[in-house]
Amino acid sequence: MKKLVSILVLLVSFTFTSNSYSKTEIHWWYGNSGFLGDVIIEIANRFNDSQDEYMVIPTGKGSYEDNMAATIAAFRAGDQPHYSQVYDAGAAIMVAQVKNGVVIGFEEMADKYGISVDADNYIPGIKNFYADEDGKMIGVPFNSSTCLMYANMDILNEVGIEEVPKTYEEFEGMAQKIADAGYIPLLQSHSPWIWTENFFSRHNLLMTDGNNGYDAVPTKTLFAETDAFVMHWSKVKEWYEKGWYGYKGRAWGDNQAPFTNGEAAFWFGSAASFGGMKGVLPNFTTNPIPYWDSVTGGKEYPTFIGGAANWILNGHTEEEYKGLAKFIEFMGSPEMDLYYHNMTGYAAVTKGGIELAETINFYRTSPYHKAVGDQLGLEGSTIPGGYRAGNWPQIREVIYENVEPMLNGDISVEKALGNMDKGSAKLLKQFAKTL
Amino acid sequence: MKKVQFKSTYSQYFFLAPQLLILLIFLYWPIIQTFKDAFTMQDAFGFSSQFAGFDNFLFIFSDPSYLTAFKFTIMYSFIITLITGSIGLLLAVQANKVMHGKNVYKTLLIWPYAIAPAVVGVMANYFFSERYGLLHHLFNNLWGFNWYEDVFDAYIYVIIAGSWKQISANFIFFLAGLQAIQKTVIEASIIDCKSNIRRFWTITFPLLMPTTFFLIIINITYAFFDTFGIIDTTTIGAPGSETKTLVYKAYIDGFKGLDLGSAGAQSIMMMLIVLVITIFQFRYIEGKIHYN
Repeated sequence: MKKLVSILVLLVSFTFTSNSYSKTEIHWWYGNSGFLGDVIIEIANRFNDSQDEYMVIPTGKGSYEDNMAATIAAFRAGDQPHYSQVYDAGAAIMVAQVKNGVVIGFEEMADKYGISVDADNYIPGIKNFYADEDGKMIGVPFNSSTCLMYANMDILNEVGIEEVPKTYEEFEGMAQKIADAGYIPLLQSHSPWIWTENFFSRHNLLMTDGNNGYDAVPTKTLFAETDAFVMHWSKVKEWYEKGWYGYKGRAWGDNQAPFTNGEAAFWFGSAASFGGMKGVLPNFTTNPIPYWDSVTGGKEYPTFIGGAANWILNGHTEEEYKGLAKFIEFMGSPEMDLYYHNMTGYAAVTKGGIELAETINFYRTSPYHKAVGDQLGLEGSTIPGGYRAGNWPQIREVIYENVEPMLNGDISVEKALGNMDKGSAKLLKQFAKTL
Repeated sequence: MKKVQFKSTYSQYFFLAPQLLILLIFLYWPIIQTFKDAFTMQDAFGFSSQFAGFDNFLFIFSDPSYLTAFKFTIMYSFIITLITGSIGLLLAVQANKVMHGKNVYKTLLIWPYAIAPAVVGVMANYFFSERYGLLHHLFNNLWGFNWYEDVFDAYIYVIIAGSWKQISANFIFFLAGLQAIQKTVIEASIIDCKSNIRRFWTITFPLLMPTTFFLIIINITYAFFDTFGIIDTTTIGAPGSETKTLVYKAYIDGFKGLDLGSAGAQSIMMMLIVLVITIFQFRYIEGKIHYN
């Protein structure tokens, strides 16, 4: 009897001391893991410590694809989180779901629950990437990266190269020197993202019809009919055969590893990739991705935003949305934006964050962080700041499937790009039927 | 003979109910759902779902990477069945002869069977890693191995990764089969025939036919379905889509691509393939096998 009483007392005291029960819970699902996942948990913790009413509970679901699949499955089961991180390739699907009442747009949320962070406070390139056709921001910008060129300065010094290449022409001029010294001149980690999608943005070229899907639902990609793109892959194939470019399969890490180990001079990866390199590779820099001088005539254009945004999902209570609005406000503050920028290398997404970085002279002490803003902040593009094409994850798969036989010489460059167009057109048609 | 008959009350339904419920929820409901997906065109969130007839089937058959996956899966299951069956049989016959320490051999050879395919894939990953892989270096010294680009090399990778664990399964069943053969038959055959090899092919192997038949089905279904974890942790279907199995392709299109219509149609195709293989085996092969 005594035992029973003490257990009861214990239980009762638990209920009263743990205040998490009295707080409104807000669920946030994400698709980052490792260090990036830890930072997300830290952000939630900081918010939870900053006030007593609400509690954000972050849950990692694996990769971006896993999180998107999990979010959709949860929605279909009526058990969706309040806030979910969905990546660039899924943006078209999420924006299309506003009309079905799956997603609540940021601006609607801001109007209803009074978020003090304005849509215009986010930098235009990023804002437009996650906006609908009327320019209303739907997704809330979060981890925004782009592809950058990493350079191993020790190797460049060793072979006597003073400046990193700005253009692919300059790269061609120095590649043989690097190869002769026994290093791999160039590696890159994502053929669809870096050398397809961002090839088009970097050179101010349209990737699909319908103005990249912003004016009309796209029906085809413009790979084979874009001469510059054909030229680029012909060159890449040539480099591959000469040993100037090393292909290490589809896995991101397998292509990054030789660079991190000091075996390659240049590597194209994400702005958020340097975390694992700091302290391992002694002397490296981050730089804008090269472009073909012959294509742009010496002009530089910004690349697309990569990474992901957070999306507000429908079907929860007023009180919970009030809490979420507070959380969005918290994350959009200059301090948190700069904190995240500093920790991960993702771009600062708010104007406030960028101003704060400037006032404290952030880039003097953290030069790695500068290239991403420089490249995304370029002006003069006449194409949209993104693409609205459905089934894009599968189109990326089609691109991969044709890059490999192209590099090993099974099919010609023209044939490979033609195959990509054919495969993409079918997938785009399939997606158009579901609209 | 007295016919046993329960008094007809409703109690039998009561006792059957849990079983039937489980079957309904976990078996029939998903199957019905798959058929529904296969014949509709829908967006990822399930709004705007419309009847599509055979569109999804036409779509997958006009997809070159589906046809590649189809061919690969057939080839892969054939080779895996052959390799795992023959090595398993060889090991079982040898282990059956061992006099001392039989159990040690047996246990060690059975062990890999307990390892999950995804873990096997991760281990194979180490062996075939360009940076520190032993097998990668061995093959690379022999003929310039590069599974990122070369289809043949990628086949070798997934075949070795896929066979290793399944050899254990074959071993254990063949060993049990060998031990079930009556001693008297073996002893009688020793008097009649001197040659070990001939005795094996004329007496022992025919008596193992039921086991072999069973293992062929098991190996084919293994190569079809259970190698998913191995493909996902080794080549992820590269180069091109040359090492994608049908299951892996359905997963990529359904989960990563969020195209449930296409994934549903692919699932139904797989069901049909398994149905055909099974009917074929029971019709034409089993008739030639004599159970004791």
